[in-house]
Amino acid sequence: MKKSLVITYGTLILLTWTTALISASNAISEITFFLIMGISAIKFLMVAFQFMELKKANPFWKTSLSIALALIILLIVFVG
Amino acid sequence: MTTLKIDYKNIYYPPGGILMWIIIFLELITFGMALVAFSFYASEQPELFHHSRLHLNTTFGAVNTVFLLTSGFFMANAVLEFKENNRNKSSLYFKLAMLGGLLFLILKSVEYYQKLEAGLTPETNVFFAFYWLLTAFHLIHVIMGLVILVWTNYGMMRKISDTSIEDVEACAAFWHMCDLIWLLLFPVLYLIL
Repeated sequence: MKKSLVITYGTLILLTWTTALISASNAISEITFFLIMGISAIKFLMVAFQFMELKKANPFWKTSLSIALALIILLIVFVG
Repeated sequence: MTTLKIDYKNIYYPPGGILMWIIIFLELITFGMALVAFSFYASEQPELFHHSRLHLNTTFGAVNTVFLLTSGFFMANAVLEFKENNRNKSSLYFKLAMLGGLLFLILKSVEYYQKLEAGLTPETNVFFAFYWLLTAFHLIHVIMGLVILVWTNYGMMRKISDTSIEDVEACAAFWHMCDLIWLLLFPVLYLIL
């Protein structure tokens, strides 16, 4: 097992439980809303760049996926 | 022992293949737009969405996230071992990845059963229409992904195998796509709106 994959996996699990704890402990305010969506975006990018090895790909693919994710998250946040 | 190499920096060869990435982008846009529509309806009917969301089991959602992430972790290791020509080890990781997918399916089935028992169907209200539509569409992807995993694992373990690293990477990319979609669905459906 590659060390970077183990670290990524550990961080992803930690972030998942952090998100669950944040949502369970607070009433959903604007800050927790942004925090939860921010953590989800980080997890999304970690899976794409580390597990899917997008970090090795041409910058076009890295940029495109990051822009697509940013657009989806921003639309969800501002429409909602 | 040889290590298989592909020039990933070439724009036409992202890990998993260009066709798979086109599919991934199309899926993300489809689910993304559905989630934006969900957010729009949530802003229109905040009370209804808040009360409906309370019927969802956040623990199930979080555990399912862990199942998918664990499965994705094993899938990434399976690709790595395949590149190193360790087919037996790669196959073991494939099976562990499949186990994660199966556990996801089992827990999702329990969740669906509880919803149906409580009379929470797609006709209940607009929240549950979105809930069923989005999670069931995602579930179909997970089932498809499992079929692809079984087929690829079977192909690569045959005595005379023509399974290439491109095939394994494309299979892995599809499986990780299920993770990516779920990482967007889980917070929006279960946690925030």
